[in-house]
Amino acid sequence: MPEPAATQRRTRVDGGALATHAVLVAGALFMVFPFVWQALTAFKTMPESVQVPPTFLPNEWHWDAFSQVFTAVPFMEMLTNSFLNTLGRTLGQLVFCSLAAYAFARMQFRGKNVLFAVFLSVLMVPAQLLILPQHEIVQKLGLLNSIPALFLPGMFSAFGTFLLRQFFMALPRELEEAARIDGAGPFRIFWSVMLPLVRPALAALAVITAMWSWNDLLWPLVVNTDPATMPISAGLTSLEGQFMTNYPVLMAGSLIGSLPMIVLYLLLQRHFVQGIALSGSKG
Amino acid sequence: MRRRSLLTGALAAPFAAAAATGCSSKGGSSRTSGGRTTISYGMWDTLQVAGTEKIIKAFEAEHPGISVQIQLTPFPSYWTTLKTAMRGGSAPDVFWMNAVNLQMYAEGGALRPLDPFIERDGFDMAVHPEELLRMYSYKGTRFAMPKDFDTIGLWYNKELFDKAGIKYPDDSWTWDTVRDAAAELTDPRAGVHGIAAEMSRQYTYYNTIAQAGGYVIRDGRSGFADERTIEGLRFWTDLIDKGHSPSQSAMTDTRGRQLYLSEKVAMNYDLSAMASQMYAAPAIKDHGGVAVLPEGRRRGTVIHGLASAISSKSEHPEAAWKFAKFMGSRKAALIQASEGVTISSYAGTQDAWVKSMPEFGLGVFIDMLDYAVPYPASRRTTVWENLQPQLLGGPFTGKGGIESASRTLARQMDLALEQEK
Amino acid sequence: MAVFPSTAAAQAADRRRSRAAERGSTPSPRPRRRSQRSAYLFIAPIALGFLVFYIWPLLETFWFSFTSFGVFGGNTWVGGENYEGVVRDVTVGQALGNTVLYMLMGLVTLPVAIVLADLMNRRGLRGVPVYRALYFLPFVTMPAAVGLVWNWLYNGDFGMINEALSWFGVDGRYWVSDPSTAVYAIGAVMVWSHVGYYLIIFTAGIKAIPRDYYEAAEIDGAGPVRRFFRITLPLLSPSIFFATVICVINSLQQFDLIFVMMSPENPALGETQSIVTLFFKWAFQENAQGAAAALAFLLMLLIAALTYLQFRFQKRWVHYA
Repeated sequence: MPEPAATQRRTRVDGGALATHAVLVAGALFMVFPFVWQALTAFKTMPESVQVPPTFLPNEWHWDAFSQVFTAVPFMEMLTNSFLNTLGRTLGQLVFCSLAAYAFARMQFRGKNVLFAVFLSVLMVPAQLLILPQHEIVQKLGLLNSIPALFLPGMFSAFGTFLLRQFFMALPRELEEAARIDGAGPFRIFWSVMLPLVRPALAALAVITAMWSWNDLLWPLVVNTDPATMPISAGLTSLEGQFMTNYPVLMAGSLIGSLPMIVLYLLLQRHFVQGIALSGSKG
Repeated sequence: MRRRSLLTGALAAPFAAAAATGCSSKGGSSRTSGGRTTISYGMWDTLQVAGTEKIIKAFEAEHPGISVQIQLTPFPSYWTTLKTAMRGGSAPDVFWMNAVNLQMYAEGGALRPLDPFIERDGFDMAVHPEELLRMYSYKGTRFAMPKDFDTIGLWYNKELFDKAGIKYPDDSWTWDTVRDAAAELTDPRAGVHGIAAEMSRQYTYYNTIAQAGGYVIRDGRSGFADERTIEGLRFWTDLIDKGHSPSQSAMTDTRGRQLYLSEKVAMNYDLSAMASQMYAAPAIKDHGGVAVLPEGRRRGTVIHGLASAISSKSEHPEAAWKFAKFMGSRKAALIQASEGVTISSYAGTQDAWVKSMPEFGLGVFIDMLDYAVPYPASRRTTVWENLQPQLLGGPFTGKGGIESASRTLARQMDLALEQEK
Repeated sequence: MAVFPSTAAAQAADRRRSRAAERGSTPSPRPRRRSQRSAYLFIAPIALGFLVFYIWPLLETFWFSFTSFGVFGGNTWVGGENYEGVVRDVTVGQALGNTVLYMLMGLVTLPVAIVLADLMNRRGLRGVPVYRALYFLPFVTMPAAVGLVWNWLYNGDFGMINEALSWFGVDGRYWVSDPSTAVYAIGAVMVWSHVGYYLIIFTAGIKAIPRDYYEAAEIDGAGPVRRFFRITLPLLSPSIFFATVICVINSLQQFDLIFVMMSPENPALGETQSIVTLFFKWAFQENAQGAAAALAFLLMLLIAALTYLQFRFQKRWVHYA
């Protein structure tokens, strides 16, 4: 086509953006649809929710399920428990994992490789395998049916250590060297030079850990049998009957239960997508 | 052992402080405070919580020194959680028990034998159906107090029967009547099947196996190689092969009960405990009905019920027994029955349940007690129960003959039973 | 490349500075004692946690695997009997095959997530935060709801997927109860639910790539595709390596989705069983904890071998700064 080069270039760029949007929108629909279905089910009556063929939109919009959640289980208490559990695990991982990750990535010490292999082996254990002995330990600590029982083992994560190690390893060495010449000790270098540089990774780890803690199921069910100490993920399963489940209430509950995580994600998103520009970092 | 306690001790210190100040923490599941003994009662059904709370209130009024706390664990994780807690010694004092698990728990020493209490207090156990008492005994010792029971009935849809011009099921029905009716009621254009031949132990084939004169397990041997047992299974697979029932593939996606509630099948064998759910569906409340199970070579229905068992690790066995006994009493049975969720097992207390849903004529479930067969179990019931869907799945989806599948099942089940010993 | 301070300059400096510089001259064959000590201090807290909550239970479970496990306590030593039983059991072979299949399907998530992360990193693209939030939704949805919703979509007679297929005249199947499709149906949900998760990791990774590199490439006239292969992929390689290791481990431990999507009566149960669901069935339903522990240790051996290989070969493609 005999068009000026400038115009051609512009349309190509716009076309590219358009194609990008097309791909992303199509994907997003696929990602969102089950969530929409979940929301719609929450507005149906119990018989309508199990009716075949299923209705897409509710015949009538019922809000009952949303209020029933609060009476069917101690919902607010469970939300608080979930919050404390998530907070405990996330803070624990951020602190413990970043310390260890830094050592593995940036320090030389005897037995480093062996220790790291041991750490990784923790990652390879299926969680279900350790339930019995872990339960026994928590019980020996006298912590069954308590909030610490929920988050204690989850505060220590091989995953988090590994994740942060990768990010520490990807950092250029110049800043560390400069700080060292300035006479900063290992902890100072870690805390004020290196840690700020892996902020995106810390935010990512926080989101992932928070999500896992929030939705964790088997462990809370085993250690905390008292509904007053259960997190929301475990509490909601009590809506699953042996013969029949009240789907609208379950859906409404899991919808409300997911909201705090969505909010948290939106808040943290800014941090882990905030690129670091080396020239601008304060060190 | 010593090393572990050192390790855990070191770690416990900071958290012991946290536990003492606010964070609610209980070492075991029972405790005594201010002269009042608190015991816990483990159960899994949300629907029964309200009724149980009423019973507890009545119990506490009679026994001011004891208070009872419900521990609700959803069914999907109930047994996992209980087993873990049992091993650690933090299980509830009294908890729901079913037939599948009784022998394993009794053999493992997890349950406190009830005989000494029963004899001492002179409690008349004969008020509960004999089948249930046998179900909850192991090697001649009683281990749990029955509270309710379930039998299976033939649920049908009057509107679909009217449309096909067929008389409603009643106690004159036999297998042949079912087969004929299923054929007549099947209407492919409306997407309606005559019956739901779901691959389900308790709802379908254990019942027809008994009606054919077969058995599931006897003297530690599998009954699946028995001709009569196979006849009981074939009753269902024939219905699928003829297209009078959806196949098991379809019913994995949409359970038979769901199809019945949505008026997509005219007949469904289902639990008495489902009555309240059926009643909540407007269409079924309006034109649903239930009849006794049709007769094969003989009559039969599977009976199962839940019972309250006492943990052998309970620190308050006396209080636990008092509560278990109360759960099996006439007073508790009447409260339970009036909730309309489940049939009380105490003789003569079922009226309230039957009357709570007058449209259905639920009396048939109690009539069937005369010929009910107990839900089969052994010490490791789950092992051979898990084999069944694996091996019978083919024939129930129209692939492979039921006879060879059933014989294979018998062989594998016998191997599993061999390992129990 | 990092600029190392010359040793001569360091020696000339004051005491404090010289200490710092010596520590800086890594990698040295014999690290100094003080540096070692602080490294151990950095690792100590988490190591203690691991010891109590993971390593010790792991050793205890390892012992279980050589015992016949009393359900309510009391184990008796049986030697290698459990391991023999596992190796001989035919269902283990099938579960292993399925597990490997889950791993391969799980790995499909990675390229999808990398491309999405790159697309969302395009300069000047609007609505990126919205996309990110939407792709993240599956990850926040509670597991019970995930199983339920997908089973509805997959429903053979009344599901959306078959409905959509029928518009194009295609006959659907009973996706989750047909033994030949069930494992793929679960795999698809696995990809669906994990894309958002890897997207987070890759987004953080891409954002850690200094903008300057892209700007320099742009000045050199490199298009988006070229930039993707020349800058994004190599500089993202530590994250990709991490994600691959994690993905292999996670998908070999596939459990939750199978558990919530496959009912016990499902005729395709055997065809979808993974090692961990089999472990769960043995340990918690059939009370064969000893054999179950043996099975889990064999799985760990497999995972360890695969992870070792990945670390072994990372030098060939992973670029650390």
